[in-house]
Amino acid sequence: MSRQALALGLLLAAFALAPLVAGPYLLSVLVVVMYFAYVGQAWNIMMGFAGQLSLGHTLYVGLGAYTSAALFVHLGVPAVFGLFASVAVAALAGGIIGSLGFRFGVKGVYFALLTIAFAEFTRISFEHIPGLGGPAGLFLPVGDRSGIDLIHLRGHPLMFYYLILAMTVGIFLLCRRLVHSRLGYTWLAVREDQEAAAALGINVFRAKLYAVMLSAGLTALGGVFFAFYYNNLFPNQAFGMNRSIEIILAPIVGGLGTLFGPILGALILTPLGELITAVTEAMGFKAAGIKQLCYGLALLAIVKFLPDGVWPWIRARLGLEQDQDGKEGQ
Amino acid sequence: MSGHSSPMVNRRGFLAAGAAGAAALGLGGRVGPLHAAEPLKVGLLLPMSGGLAREGQSCKRGADVTPGLLADMGMPVQLMIADTETNIDTARTRAEKLIADGAQVLIGAFDSAHTLAVAQVCEQRGVPLVINIAAAPNITEQGFKTVFRNFPTAPKLVTEGLALMKDVFKITGTTPTKAVFLHNNDTFGTAMAGAVNKLFPTLDMPFPLVETIAYDGAARDLAVEVGKAKATGADLVLLVPHGDDCIRVIREMVKQRFEPKAVVSPGSPGMYETQFYKTLGKYSDYCMTNLPWINPKTAMSQALLKAFTKAYPDALFEMNIGYTFEAILIAADAARRAGSNDPKAILAALPATNIAEHVMIGGPIVFDAKGQNTNTRSATIQNFGGKPLVVLPSDVAEAKPVFPAPGWQQRG
Repeated sequence: MSRQALALGLLLAAFALAPLVAGPYLLSVLVVVMYFAYVGQAWNIMMGFAGQLSLGHTLYVGLGAYTSAALFVHLGVPAVFGLFASVAVAALAGGIIGSLGFRFGVKGVYFALLTIAFAEFTRISFEHIPGLGGPAGLFLPVGDRSGIDLIHLRGHPLMFYYLILAMTVGIFLLCRRLVHSRLGYTWLAVREDQEAAAALGINVFRAKLYAVMLSAGLTALGGVFFAFYYNNLFPNQAFGMNRSIEIILAPIVGGLGTLFGPILGALILTPLGELITAVTEAMGFKAAGIKQLCYGLALLAIVKFLPDGVWPWIRARLGLEQDQDGKEGQ
Repeated sequence: MSGHSSPMVNRRGFLAAGAAGAAALGLGGRVGPLHAAEPLKVGLLLPMSGGLAREGQSCKRGADVTPGLLADMGMPVQLMIADTETNIDTARTRAEKLIADGAQVLIGAFDSAHTLAVAQVCEQRGVPLVINIAAAPNITEQGFKTVFRNFPTAPKLVTEGLALMKDVFKITGTTPTKAVFLHNNDTFGTAMAGAVNKLFPTLDMPFPLVETIAYDGAARDLAVEVGKAKATGADLVLLVPHGDDCIRVIREMVKQRFEPKAVVSPGSPGMYETQFYKTLGKYSDYCMTNLPWINPKTAMSQALLKAFTKAYPDALFEMNIGYTFEAILIAADAARRAGSNDPKAILAALPATNIAEHVMIGGPIVFDAKGQNTNTRSATIQNFGGKPLVVLPSDVAEAKPVFPAPGWQQRG
């Protein structure tokens, strides 16, 4: 067993056993950590592996959340079945956006703007759909909070903790397999030099489209978790621009295009916020917004001194191996 | 209302009000010791940064002056204030943190989505949640046993907001012939518009709503929208702004010499805020807003006003302050009746809440089986000389409603 595998195994064991020692507060923080690790990993497929910048990824969170929630609320469809519809809807939306963008040669920041435009368009549209609650919100019946009902995703917070843990492990393993697959190598080729990849005979359009659709579909699963964990959805929160920014922070801070980056980024950012709150309160600074100020400064420091992300820096310090793409190293 | 003349209320008066309240409480449940040994630890969740920072900080100002007043009533509280950052994830984790830090009651959280997230934590942990402000009806429809709301639901807000207009016309003896509805197209404005358009036909309003016009609240120029409203020939403007966009609407109305009989909001912020008065001066006068408001006639509200004005001389004394104060009052009152700060004991006492003397307009604070206060009541406030004054209901009015309003150029 490699050192990396051992470290990952220990980390997984720590998360799995955390409920034995951690209180509800710490567990709720860990749920947020893993949620952002999950959706960050899903975004990383599109940006980190295939090099397509999306700044409107909350679109897929929202579509996934609303689809499953609406099926559950209006038709009684269990979440475990509704999630297939969520993935399909989000993947289709990703496919449409990708097709439009790639077919007409929309690249880089212009493609990013396109993704923002679709997210905003969808947010405004959802405010005018009465069946989905409109701006007044879509509420899921909270029901029994003591049991474990995985079929309907109703139950104890601990169930949601292990669910998001399983989702995070699952997407990590999937991504690990993907980057070492033919499709993964195709993405890396497209990311590094699109023209060169095309010259080698790679179907760039198809490769990028697969990345967008897969990323969208997986992000939608995060949306399903979000809907059933919080039990209410509002267009401005589900599709809000600030949520898109939150999604991309973890992989950027952790290390774009790496497998461990989104996890490490989420492990740094969410607890950092909690730590700053605790420290500032202990020091007697109670002014609202002081956390965001410190948080912003910390982010600036990370970006300034570790522009490739934290994980590549740690990997270099520990002398861990890199794969041939220059970024992978799990 | 900040700064306007009011009857002086001293500490003795406030204590008398508190005693009256305590007497009323005794009717609803057992009365505990007058002074609890330990202050009640109240966890207060507010969006003090992020998109709802203005509202959250307004609530916090109300909370800041509350412990001193409640201590005078023999109900010591210790506030533990947490910022939800206008973020649902943070709201939930902050709720867990407050409980972990020993909060015996949670209060909050202004935003409906955040409130429902917090409610689930409270339900799981058996800690009572008293909602200060959050209007989504679904919150009290979830069957929670730990949730109590002292704020009207959104449909009630709009229904009362529209119904109060009829009272204004009845009292002044003038009824408009037709109205035009202008609203901000953001989430709040759209929700309000949906409710107004749904409820308007059911309330037998004495005037038709000829057109609904949505506008972009961030737009610098609202000339087209106001021009369109003027072209309808309406003599009443229903306005649902959500910030300083109401300033731009009124400015454009003055510019275009669009002079309806009145500008009335059926329940939204904007037209009773400091910035509105400072920017528009005389043009801010006579605008009306229908919403829950602080009762200017109770001793308790006057004591709150006095404490608030002393602490924040330049801040507006408005709804957020009153409801936040009352939420803490409800929690402290339940602990006092229970004779214990234990969350379970407080939970047992909360359903029997019956607070006759309080600060918001409305009947005694009581909760139905779902934890909703059924006695909340809206008021009509009208701007006079750069201040909002209650003009309806008549029993608590500070001034008589002026309708029609004088023309823009006829004002001093």
